[in-house]
Amino acid sequence: MNADFRFWGKMIAIFAIITFLAVVPQSSSVWATDNVVKVGNIIPLSGPSASVGEQGKNAREMAVEEINAAGGIKSLGGAKLEMVYADSESKPEKGVAEAERFINTEKVNVLTGCWNSAVSYPTSAVAERYGIPFIVPVSVADKITEQGFKNVFRIAAKDSWWTRDQFAFLKDMGKEFNTKVEKLAFVYENGDWGKGFAGQWKVLAEKGGYQVVLDEPYPSTSTDLSPVVQKIKRARPDVLMLVSNAADAILLTNTLAEYKVKLKAIIASGGGHADPSFLKAAGKNGQYIFDIVEWETDVNKPGAKEANAKYNAKYGSNLTGEAVDAYLAMYVLKDALERAGSLDPAKIRQALATTNLTGGPGMIVGYDAVEFDKTGQNKHAALVMVQINDLGKGLERITVWPKSARRAGYTPIFPMPKK
Amino acid sequence: MIYILEDAINGVLMGSIYGLTALGLTLIFGVLKVINFAHGSLLMVGMYAAYWSIILTGMHPYVALIIVAPLMYLFGYYLQDIVIKPIFKAQKDVREPITVIIVTTGVWYILDNLTLLIFGPAYRNIQDNPLKGKMLEIGEMFISVPKLWGFVTAVITAAAVYWFLQKTRMGRAIRATSLDREAASLMGINQFKVYNVAFGIGTATAGIAAVTLVPFNNIFPSVGVLFDIKGFIIVVLGGLGSIGGAILGGIIIGLIESIAPQFMTATWTEAIVYGLFLVVLFVKPSGLFGVKYDW
Amino acid sequence: MTRQNINRFALIIVGVVVFGLPLVLRSPTYLHILILLYFYAYLTSSWNLVGGFAGVLPLGHSAFIGIGAYASTILSLQYGISPWIGMIVGGILATIVGILIGFPTFKMRGAYFALATIAFGEGIRVMVENIDNLGPLKINGPRGLQIPPTNIGFGNYMFAGKEPYYYIILVMLVGVLALTYFISRSKLGYYLNAGGEEPEAAMSLGVNVAQAKLIAMAISSFLTALAGTFYAQFTLYIHPKSVMSLDLSFEIAFIALIGGRGSIAGPVLGALLLRPVSDFSRIYFGATLPGLHLIIFGTVLILVMIFQPRGLQEPLTRAYNRLLDKIFGGTGQKEITHEYS
Repeated sequence: MNADFRFWGKMIAIFAIITFLAVVPQSSSVWATDNVVKVGNIIPLSGPSASVGEQGKNAREMAVEEINAAGGIKSLGGAKLEMVYADSESKPEKGVAEAERFINTEKVNVLTGCWNSAVSYPTSAVAERYGIPFIVPVSVADKITEQGFKNVFRIAAKDSWWTRDQFAFLKDMGKEFNTKVEKLAFVYENGDWGKGFAGQWKVLAEKGGYQVVLDEPYPSTSTDLSPVVQKIKRARPDVLMLVSNAADAILLTNTLAEYKVKLKAIIASGGGHADPSFLKAAGKNGQYIFDIVEWETDVNKPGAKEANAKYNAKYGSNLTGEAVDAYLAMYVLKDALERAGSLDPAKIRQALATTNLTGGPGMIVGYDAVEFDKTGQNKHAALVMVQINDLGKGLERITVWPKSARRAGYTPIFPMPKK
Repeated sequence: MIYILEDAINGVLMGSIYGLTALGLTLIFGVLKVINFAHGSLLMVGMYAAYWSIILTGMHPYVALIIVAPLMYLFGYYLQDIVIKPIFKAQKDVREPITVIIVTTGVWYILDNLTLLIFGPAYRNIQDNPLKGKMLEIGEMFISVPKLWGFVTAVITAAAVYWFLQKTRMGRAIRATSLDREAASLMGINQFKVYNVAFGIGTATAGIAAVTLVPFNNIFPSVGVLFDIKGFIIVVLGGLGSIGGAILGGIIIGLIESIAPQFMTATWTEAIVYGLFLVVLFVKPSGLFGVKYDW
Repeated sequence: MTRQNINRFALIIVGVVVFGLPLVLRSPTYLHILILLYFYAYLTSSWNLVGGFAGVLPLGHSAFIGIGAYASTILSLQYGISPWIGMIVGGILATIVGILIGFPTFKMRGAYFALATIAFGEGIRVMVENIDNLGPLKINGPRGLQIPPTNIGFGNYMFAGKEPYYYIILVMLVGVLALTYFISRSKLGYYLNAGGEEPEAAMSLGVNVAQAKLIAMAISSFLTALAGTFYAQFTLYIHPKSVMSLDLSFEIAFIALIGGRGSIAGPVLGALLLRPVSDFSRIYFGATLPGLHLIIFGTVLILVMIFQPRGLQEPLTRAYNRLLDKIFGGTGQKEITHEYS
């Protein structure tokens, strides 16, 4: 009897201590000392987006290592960047909770995140409320920079730019290769991202005079996509436009090949199709697919190849557009910190707002400058289209558009040959 | 018209595979009277086991059955013995201890996340297996060869399990225990051994289902969750404890999933499946082929 | 001092501490953690009315949270109606849905009931995810609804600091606990208890078990929906996966089960124990070992179920009583380990 009581007494005591330690206010705010700049990073490290979250983390780590090794932030006495990470599990409420924790408990100076637009969106409200600068490397949802907030800075292009460029590409291809494109099929994952793109596609299709023969949202977690593929086949579109996450991108590509669906072109929207596991898993079936991304390993910029080789050696896969955004974000931060010369969030915010970064190790992106407009959107963010093809060295992604960015010596294959 | 036929065939084939995944579930549900929420995770474990067997040895996917089925049997047997049996022993008089449901959920969380931790979140795929992407072309119709193999495997497995339950001693013991626990143990049947065997067989069938899925499906830590809920719907549809019911229930779901999208978007199909599930629950809760058990 | 007086005194002390905490505790993060803690404790206690007292295992309760959240949000975003009123509307809607679900499902036994509630919960979520506009109402499917943090004020259920939210959820929690206490000592409580254990015997005595269960379901769904509105006004963003997910339904049920369903303190204890485990393991391990917090959660689930299947409130209550015995000397009070503590 006594033993039972003692055991439970101990359990309660331990538990009470833990809970109340968690609850006791910290005696003094732990401001980052002058030797460290604390950066809070909220990304999906578990759940369906874990694989891209991991890449975001790796890219940041690589940039920060370089920055710290090169002497840190000189205007702050050589202060190093200290990164803390939190797992958003791709859930908005977790992202919000972690943002609160980073700002109030960890006392971070800057926030970055969150990959999933659904998480970045409410998290930006938290950052704004506390006046902590929030750098969004990847999330594309237009609304993130359309809230009138002052503390949000987005590196990637907005999703309305993605869809605009996809259609511009289509038009150019049709002209360059003298091929008529009339019928479009839209197949997209049934989430925030997919539906957002589809909404814009419909408007653009109408403006461009295309006929939409299929508008098909599908559950990203489907176990069998043959019914969707059948619908595509029977609708006989000229071009298929896709928004998919990794698992369904692989499944769709393989199933499309199995059912021998004949199309003039497939245009994907990054995300799942850009995931490193896609090329490996889809193999030959992925050949000739066009994808829109921010960056590709063959982009004609100094330092791009070296950075990619370094990343590949460290982490075992190539940089993706999103990883590059994260990498660049760290350099944008460094540049802003140097100009701010202070850890005061308002000064950092001001420095970010006046960014005009045109060089440095971070600028391996396809465009030439990072400059934020009044809404916090990177004005110059641009996209490229790549085509997946095998030029004798295995499948790779080859930049094809805009024409000025096209890899030398390569002519895109449009329409797709009959396999 | 040809379209509907083609879709129907795909539905039957895919559905039979769904039924195969649910086979173990109906057995466990029927015998132990508990919802095994870890079933999807067991399927996932089977898929990883199959994946590694094939990758490391380059064998034909179905040869992996030799390794995966017994492995999963043992895994299930001991899972039941070590983790679940203590609860049954502690709650002898409760006919369907709810705590077991919680324990199986705990097992689900642990298995899925341990796999995530060990193997990482990447999507794996067996690229060059002899079954991948093969299609049978009959006139204008395309029929997926790996799914056809899956169908045959499902039918054979179901028949085998049925035969086992009807004709062997252990099988009869299992059926007796599922009808009346106390009476069966009065007859000298070791209740817990029966549970272990039933769980083992149920898990082994999940392993077999995993092997049929591996040639054309993605493999990743949370793949089991997708099949979990579907499995329960199939089990209720077909009738608890009914082997044939599980396969047929699976086929019905497969048919809905293949044919319905032709008339509406694929996303509404999910809602229809749940709706059907609810209708069956209310109208004939014992399912299409189940026997009315007195719970 | 009688045991009753001691208990009452202890309760008063806890009350003072809990209500006074925000005056001492300034950190918004910890307030945030506590608010979420109370939120879960509230949800599990509301769930307890059906899952504990009525003796069944509903696993689709998050649907009610969703109904509450969406009702008040749509009404306030589109029609400018105060979320307080929207909250009541949501509650009524949820009650109707709850009764509709209860009617056919209460006839079912254990496992079937659980599956049916899962199907309902998921079915409702899938439908909301697929609908962008329901007539004039903007639902926005998977993209969810965001509430702009403007219009601060009590009437708008919108506050700048965390303290008001803290008090609101605390009052709600105390309310549901008090309600549970009174129900447990009322006729309804006894009917539910009887109906849970021996329905046939109860019915032969003239107890309308079915009706009792439906009443419990109605109350439970109403209360759960109120939490939905709170969540919407607190996090300012709702979408089907966050307010109507299966994970959430499971979490609510499991916290109650581990704490000890059917008792008043059980669900709260469960929340008190499990939420920190989940939060801290995510904070400390989330970045380095993803998914570890779920492994820990799963292990805790299994261990508690094997060793203390009726929930942890039983041994904790016993220990508490024994502690008081030691301090104040035995008062001859027998250990009470029945359902209502």
